[in-house]
Amino acid sequence: MRKFIVTAFSALLAFSASAIAQPKEVLLGALLPLTGPAAPIGIEEQQGVQFAIDQINARGGINGVPVKILFDDSQGKPDQAVLAFNRMIDLNGVPALLTAFSSISLAIAPLATRREVLVVNPAAQTDKLENASPFLVNTIPLVRQEASVLAKYAIEHVGKKAAIIYENAAAGIDGSTDFRKYFQEAGGEIIAEEPVEFGQTNYRSTLLKIAAAKPDFVYIAITQSHEAMADQVGQIPDFPTGIGNTFSRPFFGHASTEGWYQTAIQSGYPDEATVAAFKKQFNAEDMGFFAREYFNSTNIILKAAKKVIADGGDITGPALRDAVLAIRTFESPVADVTFESNTASRPVEILQYKGKERVIVETARSAD
Amino acid sequence: MNYFLSFLILAEIFSIAALSTNLLIGVIGIFSVAQAAIMGVGAYTAALLMMAGVPFPLALLAAVLTCAAINVLSSLPSLRLAGDYFIITSFGTQLVATAVFINWQDLTGGATGLMGIPIAEIAGYSFASSQQFALLVTVILIIVATSFWLLMRSPHGKLLHAIRLNEIAAVAAGRKVLRAKVGVAAVSGAYAGVAGALYATYISFIDPVSFDIHVSVLLVTMLVVGGARTLAGSIIGPFLLLAIPQLLALVDIPSTVVGPVRQLFYGVILIAFMLWRPQGIAGRKL
Amino acid sequence: MLYLQLFIDGVVSGCAIGLVSVSFSYFYATTGTFHVAHAGIYTFSAYFAWWLVGVGVPFFGALALAVALGGVAGYLTQRLLYERLARNTASPLVMMIASIGLLTVLQNVVAILFTPNIVQFDLTWRLSHLSLGGISLSYPQALILVSSLVIVTALILFSRHSALGKRIRAVTSNPDLAEITRLAPKQVFAIVLAISSAIVAVPGVLIGVDQALQPYTSLLVLLTAVIAMIAGGIGSLRGAFCMSILLAVVQSMSVAFMPGRWSVAAVFGIFIVFILFRPEGLFRSRFSRAF
Repeated sequence: MRKFIVTAFSALLAFSASAIAQPKEVLLGALLPLTGPAAPIGIEEQQGVQFAIDQINARGGINGVPVKILFDDSQGKPDQAVLAFNRMIDLNGVPALLTAFSSISLAIAPLATRREVLVVNPAAQTDKLENASPFLVNTIPLVRQEASVLAKYAIEHVGKKAAIIYENAAAGIDGSTDFRKYFQEAGGEIIAEEPVEFGQTNYRSTLLKIAAAKPDFVYIAITQSHEAMADQVGQIPDFPTGIGNTFSRPFFGHASTEGWYQTAIQSGYPDEATVAAFKKQFNAEDMGFFAREYFNSTNIILKAAKKVIADGGDITGPALRDAVLAIRTFESPVADVTFESNTASRPVEILQYKGKERVIVETARSAD
Repeated sequence: MNYFLSFLILAEIFSIAALSTNLLIGVIGIFSVAQAAIMGVGAYTAALLMMAGVPFPLALLAAVLTCAAINVLSSLPSLRLAGDYFIITSFGTQLVATAVFINWQDLTGGATGLMGIPIAEIAGYSFASSQQFALLVTVILIIVATSFWLLMRSPHGKLLHAIRLNEIAAVAAGRKVLRAKVGVAAVSGAYAGVAGALYATYISFIDPVSFDIHVSVLLVTMLVVGGARTLAGSIIGPFLLLAIPQLLALVDIPSTVVGPVRQLFYGVILIAFMLWRPQGIAGRKL
Repeated sequence: MLYLQLFIDGVVSGCAIGLVSVSFSYFYATTGTFHVAHAGIYTFSAYFAWWLVGVGVPFFGALALAVALGGVAGYLTQRLLYERLARNTASPLVMMIASIGLLTVLQNVVAILFTPNIVQFDLTWRLSHLSLGGISLSYPQALILVSSLVIVTALILFSRHSALGKRIRAVTSNPDLAEITRLAPKQVFAIVLAISSAIVAVPGVLIGVDQALQPYTSLLVLLTAVIAMIAGGIGSLRGAFCMSILLAVVQSMSVAFMPGRWSVAAVFGIFIVFILFRPEGLFRSRFSRAF
C-alpha cells in the first residue's frame, strides 16, 4: 500500500513535470495603436503579427504547441497603454508582448521590469528606449545608430556644411540632436538649424531661411507632410540637397527631390509565396515595412519560445528574454538581426533618388 | 485585479482634476480649457523633484503650491474681466503650456517626455503595487472631496454662489469678490497639482501629449456630463467617460474608425447635454 | 530678396487667416456666440472639396459646392443648435461648450467619412508658380490673395449698402429692439452664420490646395484669427483682416531672426500679457466689469 502511494505520487509528479515542460498553448500579446492618428500604421503592424501566428499554427505550432495572440489598443496614449498592459497581464497572464510607439513603450517599460514581462519593440526608435528596461528588446536600431551611419556618409560624400530641419517632436528632436553630434565629431559644421511643428504644412519661411544659409546639404528629420514640403521646395530655386532617414520615403518621387538621399534600415521581403499569401489573407496591395518588421519580430519571439520549450523551461518573461539574447543572431529574408545588447544591430542602407529609382549607394552596419 | 485597479486609479485621479475644473467653471464661472496644462505643471514638478531624490510628500506639496500659484496667474485675466474674452486666453494658456513642455527640453525632456519617475513612498512605506497605490489615491480623493464639500457648505461657498449669479451686486454689497475668486483659483490649482503629481508617479512616464488640449476638453466634458457645482458630478463624470472606451472596445467597429467614432461620441454627448440637460447627471444649471 | 519673399508669403497666409477672422467676426459681433465650431466647418468643407475633386468634379465646381455646403452647414447650426440653446436661455458658457462639441463632431465626421490622414489635392496646376522679379508665388497662393481681397471687399460693401446688410447691422446694434420690430433677428442670425460659413470654406479649400489638408489642426488657425479680430477691434471687418495680415507677416518674418519653435507660444504669450495689463485698450465696453 505504501509502495503504491509512493509510485502514484511519483507518477503524478512526473506527469505534472511533463505538463510544465509541454504547455498546452503559448500566449503572446500585442499592444498597438489600433485607434487614433497612428491607427493606419497600427493595423498594418497587427496584420504582420497575425500573419506570423497563423503561419506557425498552420505548421502545427511550436513543436505541436499552438500559439495564441491577443491584441489590445493603446490609442497611442501612455495612460491607455498602462490600462491595456494591465488588462493583458492580469486577465490573461501574457508572458511577452509586442509594442509600438516611443511614448507607449517608455510608459510600459517600468511595468515590464516590475512584472517581468518581455516587451519587444519592432518600430519605435527614440534613444531613451536603449536603457528603459532590461525586459525591453528593440529589434530595430535606434535613431542614434542610424544617424551615426548617415553623418559618416554625408561628410565623406556630400559636404562639410550642413543645415538641419527637424520636427519638434520625439523622432525629430532625437534625429537632429544625434545627427549634430556625430556630424560635428566627424569634423562637419552645422550652419543653420530650424524646427517645424508637428502637423505643420506651410514650411515656406523655414525653407527660405535654410536655403539662404547656403549649406552643402540639409538633414531633414520629419515624420509627416513630406509631400507638402517637397512641393514647397520646388518653388525655391537652388534648394540644397536633402538627406533624410527611414521616415523620409514619401520624399521620393517628386521632381524637387531628385538626387536626395535617405537612410533606410535594411528590411527585405520574405519569399514570394509568403508575400503572396500575406496579400491574399489581408487583401493588401503590398506587405509594407511595418507588416514585415512585426512579422519578423513575432518570429523572433516564436524562435525564443521554441528554445525555451526545447530546454524544458516555462514560458515566462525572463526565460523568453534570456532565450532571445542566447540565440543572439536571427537571420531571415527580412533582416539579419544580431543582439549584442537589448538593441539589435542591423544593416543600414543609404539610398539616393535617381529618376524612378532609389539606388543603394552604401550599406553599413549599425553599431554602438 | 490590476486592470480593475488601474481603471479605478485613473478615474480617481481624473476625479480630482475634474473637481479642480469644477471650482473654476462651475463654482465661480471662469471658463477654462487649460486645466490639463495646470495638471501637467503639477506632474512635471513632482516628477522632476522625485527624480532628483526629493521624497514624495514634499514633491506633492511643491506641485500643489506651484499649481496654486500658476492657476491664480492664469486666471488673472478673468479676475479682472468678467467677459468671454477669457476663453481665448484660456486656449492660449493651454497652447503656451504645451509649447513650454515640448520646447524647454533641458527641464522637461521635450517631446520624448520624462521616464523612470520613482514610485511614491511615504515614511518608508512604498506604494509599489496597484493595491497600495489605489489605497493612496482613494485616501487622497476622499481628502480632496471633503475639502470641496466643506468649501461649498461654508459661508465662503455662498458668497461664491452669489458672485457667479451677480458679480456687480456682490461688489456693491461690499463683498471682497476679488479675494474670494483668487482663493478659489488657488484651491482649484492645488487640486490640479495633486492630480498631476499622482498621475506622474502612477504612470511613471509623462510627456506633453498627456496634458494637451484634448485632455483639457475631456476634463470639461467630464464635468459637464457629471454635472457642475456638485461633488457627485465631478466623480460620476470621469468614471463614466473613462468607461466609454472600455465599453466601445466590445462593440464591433472597424478598427480604423474606432478612434474617430469614440471622439464623435464625446462630441455628441457634449451637444446633447447642453441641449437637454445642461446641469449634467448630478449637477446644477451652468 | 529673402525678406521680400518672406513678406509676400506672410501676406498670403495672412489673407487666408483674414478670411477666417472676418467671417468669425461677422457672426460673433452679431450674436455674441463664441462659435468654436467655425474651425470644424473650415475643415469639413475643405475635405468635401477634396473628395469631390477625387471623384472627378472640376476644381472650381468643387470649390463652389464646398462653399454651398459651408453655407448650409452654418444655417443649420444656427437653426438647430444655437437657436434652441438660446430658447433655453443658455449662458454663453453653455453655448460655447456645445460649440466645442460640434467642432469635435465635425472633425471626426471628416475622419470617418473621408479620411483621418493628411491628404493633398490631385491637381497638377497647384505646383506651378509665377515668378515676378525673383519673387515666387504658387498658383494657389495667387488665388488666395485675389479671392480674399475680393471676398472681404464684397462683404464690406454688402454690409454697408445692401438692404440685408443694413438689416443685419440693425439687429447687431440692438437685438432686443429688433425682436419687437419686423427685423426677425432669428432669421438674420441664421443668414449671418450661413454667410460666415460659406466664406470660411474658401480659405479651407485653398489652403488645402496650396499645402495639405488635415482633420485636427484648424483650431489653431481659428485662435490666431480670433486674436486678430480682438486686436483689430470687434465688429470692424477691415480691422480683423488687416490685423490678420500683420500677425502672419510678423510670424513669417520672425523666422528669419529667431528660432521658429517659440513662435506660437510667443504670439499667445504676448497676447495674454497684453490682455492682462491693457484690457480696456482692446475691448468693447459691452462686457460688464465689476472693478
